[in-house]
Amino acid sequence: MKRITLSETIEISMEIGKILLQNGSTANRVELMMCKVCKIFGYPQTEAFVTPTGIFLTVSDGKENITTSIKRIENRKTDLGKITKISHLVNEMEKQYCRDGLCMWDADKFRDELRHIENERAWPEWFTIFCGGLTSGCFCLLFGGSWLEFAVAYIVGVLVSLSLKLLGNLRLNSFLTHIVGAALIVVFAKVLDIWVPYIKLDNIIIGGIMLLVPGLSFVNAIRDAMSGDLVSGTARGIEAIMLAIAIAAGSGIMLKLFELWGM
Amino acid sequence: MRPFDHLTLMQFCWSTLSILGFSIRVNLKGWKIFLIALGGGLTWAFYLIFLYFSKSLLFSIFFSVFLVCTYSEVVARLSKIPVSVFVTCVIIPLVPGRNLYYAMQAYIAGNSAVASENLYKVLLISGTIALAIAVVSSVTNIIFRLKDRF
Repeated sequence: MKRITLSETIEISMEIGKILLQNGSTANRVELMMCKVCKIFGYPQTEAFVTPTGIFLTVSDGKENITTSIKRIENRKTDLGKITKISHLVNEMEKQYCRDGLCMWDADKFRDELRHIENERAWPEWFTIFCGGLTSGCFCLLFGGSWLEFAVAYIVGVLVSLSLKLLGNLRLNSFLTHIVGAALIVVFAKVLDIWVPYIKLDNIIIGGIMLLVPGLSFVNAIRDAMSGDLVSGTARGIEAIMLAIAIAAGSGIMLKLFELWGM
Repeated sequence: MRPFDHLTLMQFCWSTLSILGFSIRVNLKGWKIFLIALGGGLTWAFYLIFLYFSKSLLFSIFFSVFLVCTYSEVVARLSKIPVSVFVTCVIIPLVPGRNLYYAMQAYIAGNSAVASENLYKVLLISGTIALAIAVVSSVTNIIFRLKDRF
C-alpha cells in the first residue's frame, strides 16, 4: 500500500480528464471524474473547471501545499469506447485498488494503464470503415430506398469513411473536414449514378450525410447546459450549428457544380 | 403504413442495424452495443407508431425520444455505460439530416418556400429532441437527489 504524491495525483487526473474531453465527454462528467480521482488518492479539497478547449485543476493537500495546473485540449474526436473504459477504470479504482488514500498500485502502474487505454484500438480499421458503409446503407433503406440504392449507399458510405480516415491524417479542423466529407458524398453518389441505372440520388446522399451529422456535439450541448455548465453548453451548441452549416455548404457546393456541368 | 405490420418491423430492423454500425464506428465494444442498437431501433419504431396515431410530427418525436431516453437511463445504469454515450447513439435516427439536405437542394433549385419550410423543420425537430433529453435528464437528477435525501 502506497501513498500517491500531490504532483503525481495532478498528473494522473489531468491525463484522465484529457482523454475524456478529447473523446467527447460532457464537461460536467469530466469535472466529476477528476474530483473523484483526486478524492480516491486522498486529496478531497479539489476544484476543477472544464471548458471544451481546456482544463483547470487545483488540488490542495489540506496543509500548506496547493497546486494549480492547466491543460490545453486540441484535436478532439469521437471515440465513445475510451470514455466507457476510463469510467470502468475509475470505478474499479474506487472499489478495489484504493482505500483511504492508500493505493495498491503505484503511479507508474496507473500511467501504464492510461497509456494502454489511449493506444488501444477496439476494432480493426477496415472493420469500422465497413460499418460506416452499413450505417449509411441502412439509413438509405430507412428513408425509403430500394435494395439497389442500398448497395450504392453502402459503397458511398465505405468510400466516405475511408476518405474521412485519410483526411484525419492531414489534421484539418473539423469544419473543413465536414465540408470536404459532404462534398465527397455528393461526388461519389453522382459518379456511381453514371454506371448504375434507375436509382434516385436523394436517399443515397441522405444516408451518407447521416454519417456526418453532429449528434455528439448536440447531445453534449444539451446535457452541459442542463447541468449548469453554460460556457461549454453554448460552445458545443455553436459547434453543432457550425458543423450543420458545413455539411449543408459542402453538399450544396457540389450539387450546384454538377448542375452547372449539366449532370 | 399501419403501426404493427411487417413494414414497421423491417424499418425497426434497418434502424437497429444502422445504429449497430454507428456504435462500432465510434469504437464501442462488447455485448453492450446490441443494447444500444436495440435502443436505436426502438426510437424509430416509437416514432412511427406515435406518428400513425397522432398525425403530429413534433408530438411523436418528443414522445419517442422521451421513452427511449428513459430506456437508456435505466439500461445504461444497469450495464454500467455512461448515460451520455448511450443517449448520443440512440437519438441518431431522428436527427434531421434529411430535412437539412432537402432545404439545401430546394435552395439551390431556387425554391425558397420549400427551403425555408425544411429549414424550419430542422430547427423545430432539433429543439424538440433537446427538450425531451433535457426533461428526462432533469427528472432523473431530481429522482436521484430525492433518493439520497431519504
